[in-house]
Amino acid sequence: MGDVMGPDLISDLPQSIIESILMKIPIRDAVRTSILSSKWRYKWSSITQLIFDDKCVPFSSDREYVGRSVTKFITRVLFLHQGPIHKFQIKSSKLQSCPEIDQWILYLSRNDIKELVMELGDGEFFRIPSSLFNCRKLRRLELSRCELDPPQNFKGFKGLRSLGLHQVLICPDAVESLISKCPLLESLSVSYFDNLALTIRAPNLKHLYLEGEFKDIYLEDAPFLVEISIAMYMTDDIAEHFEQSSNCNFVKFLGGVPNLEKLVGLIYFTKYLSIGIDSVHLPIMYNNLETIELYQVNFEDTKEILVILRLITSAPNLKELQISGSSNIAVAADIPDLDFWEKECLSGTTLNKLKSVKLSEMGGWSHEIEFMKYLLRRSPVLETLNIIPCVFDMENNLRMLMELVKCRRASTRAEVVFYRE
Amino acid sequence: MSDAAMEVVKPEMKSYIWLQTADGSIQQVEEEVAMFCPMICQEVLQTGMGFSKAYAISLPQRVNPAILGLILDYCRFHLVSGRSNKEHKTFDEKFIRMDIKKLCELTSAADSLQLKPLVDLTSRALARIIEGKSPEEIRETFHLPDDLTEEEKLEPLRNITDDPHIRLLNRLYARKRKELKERKKLKDVEVEEEPKDERSVEDLLSFINGADGDTKEARTNKNKKKNRRRKDHSKDLSSKNAHENDTELNPLPCSYHNGNFDNALEASASKHSRMQNLPAVNFSPKFEFIDGDIDDDLDPAMKEELDREVEDFARRLNSDWPERMQILSLGQDRRLLPISMNSNGSTHMYTSFDQR
Repeated sequence: MGDVMGPDLISDLPQSIIESILMKIPIRDAVRTSILSSKWRYKWSSITQLIFDDKCVPFSSDREYVGRSVTKFITRVLFLHQGPIHKFQIKSSKLQSCPEIDQWILYLSRNDIKELVMELGDGEFFRIPSSLFNCRKLRRLELSRCELDPPQNFKGFKGLRSLGLHQVLICPDAVESLISKCPLLESLSVSYFDNLALTIRAPNLKHLYLEGEFKDIYLEDAPFLVEISIAMYMTDDIAEHFEQSSNCNFVKFLGGVPNLEKLVGLIYFTKYLSIGIDSVHLPIMYNNLETIELYQVNFEDTKEILVILRLITSAPNLKELQISGSSNIAVAADIPDLDFWEKECLSGTTLNKLKSVKLSEMGGWSHEIEFMKYLLRRSPVLETLNIIPCVFDMENNLRMLMELVKCRRASTRAEVVFYRE
Repeated sequence: MSDAAMEVVKPEMKSYIWLQTADGSIQQVEEEVAMFCPMICQEVLQTGMGFSKAYAISLPQRVNPAILGLILDYCRFHLVSGRSNKEHKTFDEKFIRMDIKKLCELTSAADSLQLKPLVDLTSRALARIIEGKSPEEIRETFHLPDDLTEEEKLEPLRNITDDPHIRLLNRLYARKRKELKERKKLKDVEVEEEPKDERSVEDLLSFINGADGDTKEARTNKNKKKNRRRKDHSKDLSSKNAHENDTELNPLPCSYHNGNFDNALEASASKHSRMQNLPAVNFSPKFEFIDGDIDDDLDPAMKEELDREVEDFARRLNSDWPERMQILSLGQDRRLLPISMNSNGSTHMYTSFDQR
């Protein structure tokens, strides 16, 4: 067989490079390289990363058929594969719960699995088999739409660095216990839970992402947290529960995180923090906090404004601030409590590093305008103040602009940018 | 690049490292650029060499001078701090544009120098090239030999996917595999019968040659003897002929086209040995008849094929003179050479049995 074309260019590259190339193409193409030539027959079979999705199989409008095809494909690939599997990922909206999944997880548990990502279809939740808890080398676990039931004597994943539970059926104690039994946990993401009261004990935790209906969040032991993002949904009972609480949530939540660098709060988070805020003096300074983003802040509630003010004055190195208002304010209720602002203006703290501010969903209400003036007066290095009104109401916006133009600015470089529409 | 040029003394400001590639040529490279490569850095630190031409650092074999130049360009750009990610990306995109051969060499060289960012960049480029291509295209791009047997190729297909196209292919392949087996079987059958072949053709040819001549008397004598026999068998024959007429119109079985023709024809050639025994439609009745016994050794499928082959040969013999000439000339050689018939009716000769 003459080499008319020239010598083989690629087959003699080191196996590690070939594998890294094969892991950068879809799994289906990688497997098909087995028919290229005799040297390539098994090159794909030792790749350590297997990533599957609905595109592994030919398109069909029959969802069930696709789901079954994906299942068969994965089973066959696992059968032909040899060697350790470090990453296994399946994200398929069409793959339904089936017995093969148990076998896959058992197989993976015997092959040094380090990263497991499973996001299955919308049907019946899949129940994770107990073999998952034998995956001793697990470093990253992301589960969606399944049922998790750790055994009683489960000692935890000693090497787990990242845990993600999204729409997972698991009892609350089990979540807390799981988190606390993973001593190296650095990143935690929990979403779509109902009515969860969560206490987090994770001595190495750096990144926290929570989304759902939380009754309570207590960061009992997470001193190294660097980034927090919370989206708190509220039901009426939870709201009631809040009102009656005598805790200071601000302290409970943010009291133990001095290393915080970025804080993002959505929906009812600011409200949650506002409970009990005026009763205590805040002890901590957040010297590393550089970015604060709070959404759906109700400027009608002075306690929520207080949350913002307390935060920004406790963060001497704050560089970036994003506040999004709530457009639910009734016009009639706009009776500004100017005493509040006078009290606040008494403290002479300046925001010495604040460079960029973005205020969106601004309705032109008095408290919002006062807040803008507060910022302009106290930010000596401010560069941009972006204002995005929520409704293009000529009257209110005009008022806003007039006040802003009048306001004295601490920073000569400050640009106030007002967005239309 | 002559050595003399290499030895030009560069200004004292910068420090240089001397690198030697596998072909023996030595280059002088700014220290910071060279040290960007972990392997060179390690060598310099561990051995202390590289600061003079005599003690140049030997680079791994996979690094040739041209590729080294490329790698150093890459290092030179990336070691400068303060550039934005976008600038790095733009540079990388432009840098990676080269022919496949160079890209593979670059990947190999970067790997031996342990320059991981460059290995990642080239791997990604190679991945982009492979992705979405069919196996033939990939083979062509990288000059891969197509050296898997058909059966080996079929295995992974069967296991991997449920693609309807693949399923159809598999069915076709399964059929083909069956034919492969059958060919083997037929080959075995022929091997036994080979010795008979030459005789049969010579007989035929002598018959054709001497058709009008000498043997008339002999023929009439024979006729008298054989007539009775012939009558007995005529019923069988006519039914057989009728049967053959039916199958005549069928196209040749699919195993008998193109590549498989030679083997099939070997088979049919062997069956020609029976020609002397079985008459075809237009043949002179002077042929001898055989008992049907010999046919009983074969299974019915083979029998049918034999019948078809007989029919074909008969047709050919009774057709155009040029074709018959070919048959004659074939007969001169000791070896039996098959004639092939294309679907459009024209014939041409193969000169050997072997095709593989």
